[in-house]
Amino acid sequence: MYNILAILFKYIFIIIIYLFIFSIIRLIYLDIKGMEAISSDNRTYLKLINRTDSLPFKIKEHYSIDDSLTLGRRGDNHIVVKDPYVSKEHFQIIEDEEEYYLEDLNSANGTYLNGERIFDVMKLKDGDIIRVGKIEFLFVSRE
Amino acid sequence: MFNKAIRGKSPRSLLFIFEVLSLFLLFVYQNTRVDRFTIMTGIGLILIISLSNYLLIKISSGDNYIFLIVTMLISIGTIMIYRIDEGLGIKQLIWLSMGILLFFMTYFFVKYIKGWQNWIYLYVGASYILFFMTFILGSRKKGAINWINLGNFSFQPAEITKLLIVFILSSYYANISKWKEIKNASYYLMGVIYSFILLLFLQRDLGMAMIFYLIFISIQFIYEEDRKLIIYNIGLLIIGGIIGYTMFDHVKIRFQAWINPWKYIDRQGYQITQSLFAIAEGGFFGKGLGLGHPYFIPEVYTDFIFSAICEEMGIFTGIGIIMLYMILVYRGFKIAISQEETFFRILALGISILFGVQSLIILGGVLKMIPLTGITLPFISYGGSSILSSFIALGILQVSSEEISLRRVQDEQRD
Repeated sequence: MYNILAILFKYIFIIIIYLFIFSIIRLIYLDIKGMEAISSDNRTYLKLINRTDSLPFKIKEHYSIDDSLTLGRRGDNHIVVKDPYVSKEHFQIIEDEEEYYLEDLNSANGTYLNGERIFDVMKLKDGDIIRVGKIEFLFVSRE
Repeated sequence: MFNKAIRGKSPRSLLFIFEVLSLFLLFVYQNTRVDRFTIMTGIGLILIISLSNYLLIKISSGDNYIFLIVTMLISIGTIMIYRIDEGLGIKQLIWLSMGILLFFMTYFFVKYIKGWQNWIYLYVGASYILFFMTFILGSRKKGAINWINLGNFSFQPAEITKLLIVFILSSYYANISKWKEIKNASYYLMGVIYSFILLLFLQRDLGMAMIFYLIFISIQFIYEEDRKLIIYNIGLLIIGGIIGYTMFDHVKIRFQAWINPWKYIDRQGYQITQSLFAIAEGGFFGKGLGLGHPYFIPEVYTDFIFSAICEEMGIFTGIGIIMLYMILVYRGFKIAISQEETFFRILALGISILFGVQSLIILGGVLKMIPLTGITLPFISYGGSSILSSFIALGILQVSSEEISLRRVQDEQRD
């Protein structure tokens, strides 16, 4: 009796171990796919602070900023977030003479810079934290 | 939708199914005398592993795969040890609980105490103290003086020293600009590390000496600007190997047993031939849990646990274990690459190399790929100090996987 069970189980164990390895590799694959390589000449970018797998929608870990960057729910934004909390056009970051400015686009739930809701156009500096709902970004700008 | 269901939860549930099934099998295996202990051990194992996996996600914002991989390894290990010897299985479970507790403690210690990179003299001093303690208090076990007995409790100081060596190297190369002001600082570092290796050699702990050497040369290879030193190191290894082979009998015996174990099957080659017999006996899918003969293999709980697993669960499980170690080391390297604080970057790198090298040396040894040296297979083998030090290392790796520079930014803003 035991022998039959042991023989049956050894196949099940091997299948489970390989499924486990497969699912971990899959998670790692998703993790790597979410990373976007930051090119060395572009040192200004937004970095996601949340873990990608803790958010229920698709988002990348890095977004580089050229001359402007917009975030919203609609498809033509640079960062598209399919979260009902986010407005169609939520905020934008504009570059002007080597400085970066954050502007809220009259969103329903607001944009928070370092914990405080913004109403005006704010100048960004390295290390600022931008929050929209649950999503938190770190603003990185290196010379 | 399917993607979402698989994300995150799937490996944990697979782990859970694996544990439940194997425990069920163990109950059937000892059906005549199912006692309270078996049930308690089983429930304890499942509880500890699920709880700590759950807690970690809540506590840490870093990597959550490394701990998951490790819990799979410890599940396989504990089940195998329990099947061979019930008493040891229960002891192993106690060690594991302590190890996991230590993992969380290390996590908080390393995370909230600042200034780890400045205490290089402390690490060097502590390592020497541990070595001399071993010489004074140590007892000889299996030909090597590497155990200290304190009452019922015995531990292997080299298990702690191998973590200290990673700390020494990290704090040295993280402050390289400061050390450069001293002339030939890298030679002093080399001297310190070689003195450790020599002391281990005198204790006849060859496996540990090999781990130290490989960690040292890997980190030196990545961070040392003076490339001559690496060539010196390799040269010294070759000279040391030749001297060791000709002067010390125990090195010679290991080497001969590796080249042709069949010639010395009744003495030096006994362990390795038994291990090979066991692996061959298992075949692709193994004999089935409880149907093999692991008692023929010497040191089956510690060094040769891999052979026992291969015999009863098949070479496919063996390959699976090797793959798990590969993913673990890969994750460690990825953590090191994405870490921006140099000290923690080197620390993560050193620990990944430690896991990689340690499993490589013992797996290579039991498979007769390289000369056999007795060290434990991290997270699978039975053994208190080995389990504890592996979990401390894992805790450090967990801290390194978080954004330390980011946390500093947040702290500054709060002040």
